[in-house]
Order: sequence, then C-alpha cells, then structure tokens
Amino acid sequence: MRFLWLLLRNILRNRRRTFLTVTSIAASLFLVTTLLALLENLRNPRQTPDAALRLITRHKVSLFNALPYAYRMKIAKVEGVEAVIGSMWFGGIYKDPQNFFAQFSVDTDQFFQVNPDARIPEDQKQAFLKDRTGAIAGNTLAERFGWKVGDRIHLKGSLFQFDPELTLRGIYEGGSDDGGTLFFHWEYFNEGMKNQSFTGTFSIRARSAEEVPLVAERVDALFQNATTPTKTETEKAFMLGFLSMMGNVQFLITGVCSVVTFTIILVAANTMAMSIRERVREIGILKAVGFQNRQILFLFLGESVFLSLTGAIIGSWAAKLFFANLNLPAITGGFIQRVEVKLGILALCTGLGVLVGILAAGVPAWRASRRPCADALRRVG
Amino acid sequence: MTIPLKYNFGSLWVRRVGTLMTALGIGLTVSIFIIMMALVNGLESTFIDTGHEDTLIVIRDGSVNEVNSYYNRDLFQTVRLLPGIRVDDNNDPMVSGELVVVINHPRVTGESSNVIVRGTSAIGLKLRPEARLVDGRWFKRGLREIVVSEPLSRRFQNMRYGNSLHMSRSDWKVVGVFNAGGTAYDSEVWADYEDVAQDWDRPIYTSILLRATDLIAAKEIQRRIADDRRIHLQAVSQKEYFRSQSFSSIGIKALGIFIATVMGIGSCFAAMNMMYAAVMSRSREVGTLRALGFSRWSILTSFLIESTILALLGGVVGCLMALPMHGISTGTANFANFSEILFHFRITPKILLQGLAFAMVVGVVGGGLPARRAAQIRLIEALRS
Repeated sequence: MRFLWLLLRNILRNRRRTFLTVTSIAASLFLVTTLLALLENLRNPRQTPDAALRLITRHKVSLFNALPYAYRMKIAKVEGVEAVIGSMWFGGIYKDPQNFFAQFSVDTDQFFQVNPDARIPEDQKQAFLKDRTGAIAGNTLAERFGWKVGDRIHLKGSLFQFDPELTLRGIYEGGSDDGGTLFFHWEYFNEGMKNQSFTGTFSIRARSAEEVPLVAERVDALFQNATTPTKTETEKAFMLGFLSMMGNVQFLITGVCSVVTFTIILVAANTMAMSIRERVREIGILKAVGFQNRQILFLFLGESVFLSLTGAIIGSWAAKLFFANLNLPAITGGFIQRVEVKLGILALCTGLGVLVGILAAGVPAWRASRRPCADALRRVG
Repeated sequence: MTIPLKYNFGSLWVRRVGTLMTALGIGLTVSIFIIMMALVNGLESTFIDTGHEDTLIVIRDGSVNEVNSYYNRDLFQTVRLLPGIRVDDNNDPMVSGELVVVINHPRVTGESSNVIVRGTSAIGLKLRPEARLVDGRWFKRGLREIVVSEPLSRRFQNMRYGNSLHMSRSDWKVVGVFNAGGTAYDSEVWADYEDVAQDWDRPIYTSILLRATDLIAAKEIQRRIADDRRIHLQAVSQKEYFRSQSFSSIGIKALGIFIATVMGIGSCFAAMNMMYAAVMSRSREVGTLRALGFSRWSILTSFLIESTILALLGGVVGCLMALPMHGISTGTANFANFSEILFHFRITPKILLQGLAFAMVVGVVGGGLPARRAAQIRLIEALRS
C-alpha cells in the first residue's frame, strides 16, 4: 500500500509532464481505437438474427449483370425458401450528386417478410403498400435530410433513364443497414423501364438457419445451365464482397495501427527515460534505505504502466463516446454509416496500454535499478 | 541580438537520445502522412493522366459511366458520319465502337474483385497510343483472345502471358500483355468487340470513342450529339470523363487527413514534453544567457527555433522513411464503375514539402509554450538554482 502511495506521488510530482504524456498517448490510442473499430465494422456488419436468415442472389458474373424477374417465381418454389423479393439498386441523384445514399426498388408484397427487422408502424406500412409511388426510408436517412412522412422525394436516374417521383409513406427503424436506405415499389420502377422486367438481385429469407447453405446451393443449381447463372450467398458474405473489392484496406489499417503503436512506445519510453535520468540520485537514496533492485524496477514499471494505461483508457473511451454521438452518415455523405466501438476493442486497447507501459519503461528502469548505490548517490542530477 | 544557431544544435546533440526519439516519433507521423497522400495522389493522377483533350467518349445520355451505358448498334453509323472526325493513315475515320463488361475474378491473393473487360477494335488501339505491348501480340477476331494490362496480369489469377481463363461462355487465351503508362487503362482486359458481344450475348455498344480533327471540331461534335434528340447520347471529352472519376479517392483522403491530424496532435504533446524537459534542465543556462545580455525575446525565439529544428529533423526522417513506398503498385475500388483500379503510390516534391510543413507546425505548436516558459525564467532565481 505504501509502495503504491510512493508510486502515485512520483506520478503527481511533475504534473505537467504526466498530463502531456497521458494526452499524447490518449491521442494515439484514440486513433488506434477508431481504426480498429472501423475495420471491425467493415468486417463484421451488424448481424441481427433476421439478417442471418437472409440470402442474396445475384448474377454469377457480377452485380452489373441483371437477372430476369421471372426467376422470382422459380426461387419461391425452392425448398427452404420462406419468402423472396426482387431488389434493384437504383442509384439516383437526390438534389445533389453529393447526397449519396442507398435506394432500392423492391417487391413490396413480401418485403416485410424478408426484412422483419425493419420495424415500422402498422398504419405507415399499409399506406406504403397501397401507394404505388410510395416509399419508406430508414430513420437515420430521414433524419439526415429532415424528411417527414408525406414528403415528396424526387430522384433523378443516373443508371436508368427514369426519374421517380416518390411520396414518403413511412419511416422504419433497425435492419442491417442501420436505417440508411430508401425503398420504393419495383412495379413503379419496372414501368419506368418500359416493362423490361429485370432486377439486380433477389433477397431470400430462409425458413431456418440450418437451411441457409442448402437454399444457396439449391437456387444456384436451379440456374446452373441457364444463360444467366446465379450466385447466392448470405447477406454477410455479400457485404464482405464489397470489402474485398476495396483492396488492401485491412493491410493499410493494420499497418497504420502498428506504426502508431510503435510511436507511442517511443514517446512513452522517452518520457520515462527523462524522468528516470532526473531521479538517479533518488534511486541511490532508496537503495541506501534498503529498497531492493526488484522493488525499484517495479516502482518505475508501475509508474510507466499507470501513465500509458490511463492514456489508453481515456483515448479509447473518448473514441467510443465520440463516435456514438457523431452523425457519421451526414459527415461522410452516407459513405460510413456507423463506427461502433465494441467492448472487445476497448479491452484490446487497454491491453495495448499495459504493453506499451512495460516496453517503454523496460530498459531504462532495468538499468536504473541495477545501478550501484554509491555510484547513483555520487551523481549530480 | 540573437542567440547563435550553434547553441541550439549543441543542445540537441547533448540530449541526443531524447532528440532522436522525439524526432523519430514526429518522423513516423510525417511518413504516415506522406504515404497516405501519395496513395491519394497516385489514385487521382491515374485518372487525371488518362485521355486526350481532342478525343470524345460517347455514352448514353444520363449515364455517368460506360458500365451503365448501352445503346443500339445502328447509332454507330450516325456518330461515325459526323463531320470533324479525324481519319487515320488508311483514310478510315478514327471511331471505335466498344462494349465494356465487368467480370468478378480472383486476385492472386485469393479474394476476388471486379475487372473491366473491354471489347474494342483496331481503331480503338490506335486511339489509345499510350497502350504499348510488352509481351506477345494484340488479339485477333474470332479466336477468343485477350490482351491484359501488365499490372493486372501480376495482380489477378491466370492473367499472365500464355495463360487461359474462363469468362462468360468461353475459354479466353492471354496472347499479349500491354502497358498503358500508368493510366486508367492499366486496369483493363482488352479483346475484340465482336467476340465480347457474341460471348456475352450483348449486341450493343456501351460507348464509342472518337478523335476529332481539333478541339474546335470536338466542341462541334459534342454540340451536334447533344442537340440530336433522336439518339439520346452525350459526348464527353475523354480527359474530363476520367478526371470526374477521381472522386473514388475521397474515402482515403479523409482517412489520411484524420490519421495525420490525430497523430499530429499526439506528436505536438510529445514534442512539448521534450521541450519542457529541455527548458527545465537548462534554467541555469537561460539565466546565464540573460546575464550576458540576451533579451527574453531572443530566448523565446531560440527555443522556438530549437523545437522547429527538432521537428524538421523528424520531418526529414519521415520523408526518408516514406520514400521507399514510391512506385509500389496497389489497387482499390473505383466507385464510378465498382471495378478494380490499379495505381502506384506517387510521392511528389510537393507532398514531401507538405510533410515538412506538417512537421514544422508540430515543432512550432509543441515548442511554443515551453519557449514562453523559458523566456519567463527570472535571471536571479535561475542563476541561484
């Protein structure tokens, strides 16, 4: 206990230095936490139990090739399929090309069976189903543009020569897209496409989790020899396909994280070396009054770990609070929906703090503790 | 009266381990900044360097990219007969009807990505003189042959010279490898238009590339195409078309600036720590300097200069650490067509100067308060300590 007291007094001795060291470590750990959380969110999109039952069927070659809408009836008959809807990325422009957000034209009849995680008041749901030019938007999206039920939303087609004029009939919450999407009727879209009857993907809800891989196999087997073969995968695998397209994001982020960590070790080691250098005489005195080498080593190690641990906790929690209260879709133009700092990452960063503390103080503390008592006392600090 | 710089260098040398560690910390920050900016610059200049001013790309009105443009083949004749189109040595108009398709193909590392396959023609090759063969020969019609860009052949499976790969309904043979000089075409696979149209069963054009006799003729062709309400086409300058795709770098740019800012703040505090320690342990020296007649102002500047030297040293170290990244090839998603775009890290003198300026800001901000503290040291007390 007394030992701890001594440790604490040492830390508080040079408050300015303590403050500066802790802040610089906190800034770095803020960054590490953010990057790790970003990577984690990209790699593990939010998995609701409903999302785990969802499969996406696309053209085998790429997302750019459309599928015939007639496939829907065939997929519906596949064993293990509870519901299936066509889903077409519209990619229109809302007022300004900068206002990027996801827009899909979908089959509305089974939409809520495939997406039960999109929660919506019953009256709004009915209003949407009844209105052929109606649309529903996620809550974060509606918030971003200040939309209210009844608002008119005009989209200008960029992929398609069709400008839908929609009326917002409802606002849903939840779903694996964090409420960032606009959905409207596929029938309306198809009309604009002069009834060419195609869709980009199909979203399937499987009857049970066990049947998910089987459904994928069965659907793909069905169209294996057709002119338009399909590829069916879970919603999560489908999303991960986008991440792999981004290239070496993972490598880039882990690379930056390691450099940042190395930098903090340098900073912390420098501080510890400075503060130990100034206290060589003190070490001599401590030894003279009977402190063991080991105790002195622990004294400095403890001090260093305390500093970097405090920095790590402040930095990673600051990141958590910062991103929890930030309207990311608005700032990034819909590019990043959410950065959620999970407890695992907080724990990892705390561990990193301890590690940095030990590595930083290791060499100078060990050398200081081994210094002969008389030699240390002789030194003029 | 100013304190000679020699004094600052001497002081930094005396505490060389601390100096080196602080400089290295700033250096790492600067090198991350430079690498991120080189990434953004490499991606952007790939788009900016692509295309010629006098060349137009004709796509469907309302489309922004070839991959989502399509129109009937008969429109080709309408475009081909427009006045103001340059003719080649054989007296043929320099117009190439093209079909762009996207395939999903595995990289050498296993994960897959989208790759652009362009069905083009002999004229199409003439319109892109920047693409030069480095291996083999160009494709021939009817043989299901492809020519792959050099960076692509290194990054994706079965795309090396002599390999064969399955696309759509046939096996295609890689009969050549080309290099398009770091332009966006370095991310494409080229084949004969008729072969691609047949194999993908898409008897359409996604774009027409043409060269005008001069810039004025180019403007005139653009106007004629826009005014013809029957054809629903638009002609964009090839240069402008690619330049507008450089928005794909926004994400990396934002990430780079965010990382550099946060690390910069961290480095400022670290530099401040180092400078405070320097000031505190040298209060006697400061007292002596004051006694010799140097003003508070000279002391303030001297310490500020010292921290700037320290940071610039870090900046130089950072530049040196980042330099080996120059020219390394990498790829990311082009958000205009959701396909892989390959590019190089490109470090320019401008980016290096930005890195040094960044380091200098860290030095001035980090050294400011400690320098003020040094200037406030009172002569008598300092000498007595």
